[in-house]
Amino acid sequence: MHSLSLLLLRLPALWAQALTALLVTLILTPAHASVDDAHSFAMEAAVPFVEQGFIVREDYWNGEIKSGQQLMIKHQLFKGNEYAFWLATANEGAKLDLKVFDDKGKAIEIDQKKAELWSTARVNPPKTGTYTLVFSLTSKTEVGLFWALAYGYR
Amino acid sequence: MTTQLWMASSARSTLLATLVLTATSLTFPLKAQGTNAGVQEFDPLSFPGQVVDDVVVPVPSEVFTVLDKLGEPNWRQEVRDLKLPQSSDRILLSLVFGYVVAEGFVAVQAEDKESVKDIGREVIDLAKALGISKSVLPHAQAILDAADQNDWKSIRKEFDLTQKTVRTTMEQMRDEDLAQCVSLGGWLRGTASVTSIVTKTFSADRAELLNQPMLVEHFLSVIGKTPTATREHPLVVKILSGLRDVLTEMESAVDGFTEESVRTIGSKCDSLLSEITAVVK
Repeated sequence: MHSLSLLLLRLPALWAQALTALLVTLILTPAHASVDDAHSFAMEAAVPFVEQGFIVREDYWNGEIKSGQQLMIKHQLFKGNEYAFWLATANEGAKLDLKVFDDKGKAIEIDQKKAELWSTARVNPPKTGTYTLVFSLTSKTEVGLFWALAYGYR
Repeated sequence: MTTQLWMASSARSTLLATLVLTATSLTFPLKAQGTNAGVQEFDPLSFPGQVVDDVVVPVPSEVFTVLDKLGEPNWRQEVRDLKLPQSSDRILLSLVFGYVVAEGFVAVQAEDKESVKDIGREVIDLAKALGISKSVLPHAQAILDAADQNDWKSIRKEFDLTQKTVRTTMEQMRDEDLAQCVSLGGWLRGTASVTSIVTKTFSADRAELLNQPMLVEHFLSVIGKTPTATREHPLVVKILSGLRDVLTEMESAVDGFTEESVRTIGSKCDSLLSEITAVVK
């Protein structure tokens, strides 16, 4: 009974200690980057394009990649549409590079813009057909990098 | 995997870092290649990096927007009355689901409010039959609400979301084969609409929109890898055979599609869609 009373008296102090521990943990824990974050940044990059009439596709590609490694995606594009691709990462300081090739393996002209966490590319496909997107993310500090690639058209 | 990488950066212990690096090297089995700066020619066969197998199948409206730019198609003529099969066959229902969503895109293009609402209701019924109504219902309701306000942009977005949600839900239920059937049903209906428009006002530019052999190869490949029960389903067997014919037609259009080849692709897609809707159990 005596120990119970002591415990009850000490409860506010225990709560304060627990709260402090929780705050310290939160402060010391580095923010977790994730593929979902990468997609969120891709959608952030898409905002000015949507304002210009681009329709964002709900399907997208994402994953984790080793720094410097290249990835290749084949994608169907239709002549007459203008496409925008939004490649984003959740890892600060990463360098993003994106190129688009036609079915003959020739690089096609893209209007590319880069920001800290994303790179955007506008593409006007000269023909309807299969195009290859080749991209990489490079970081001096991170081994694995989270990425997402979304697109829209108008 | 995310946690492991974060722990490495925090350098908690050598042992932990070693474990993380080992895990990381297992996670990324391919050799690092450096940046691709300066690459202007590309040979996919000798690509040293990693190939992302996921193919994003375009929604019908991606092609429809081009057709709109090339003329003024009569989309109202393209909207079809839905006569859907009564069945508990999940493969069939998945194909029908894709078909119905694609029909939704046609109805949006036609700005046909009543058809959009009918399709929204069909989406709900099909989702119930497939046991995925919980995830689909919010999108279907959003379609019905947006139709009341003639908000075509939102409806288009919701149809895209509906299809994505259905496929994701199916994948989570380990029904990847059904998810592919949804995409396939949608592609068939979308392509049938495109061929219908192109044959009515033929031009080389319009016909070029059918240059989609990679997508047909994708379907042949993924459906061909589905469990025996799916790939040997009588309807799927017919569709795979039809897709091979479509692929032949696309691959032989080296100098562009003729009116005849467009008609052939269209009638093949139409006959496959008829097979889908004709099944009654």
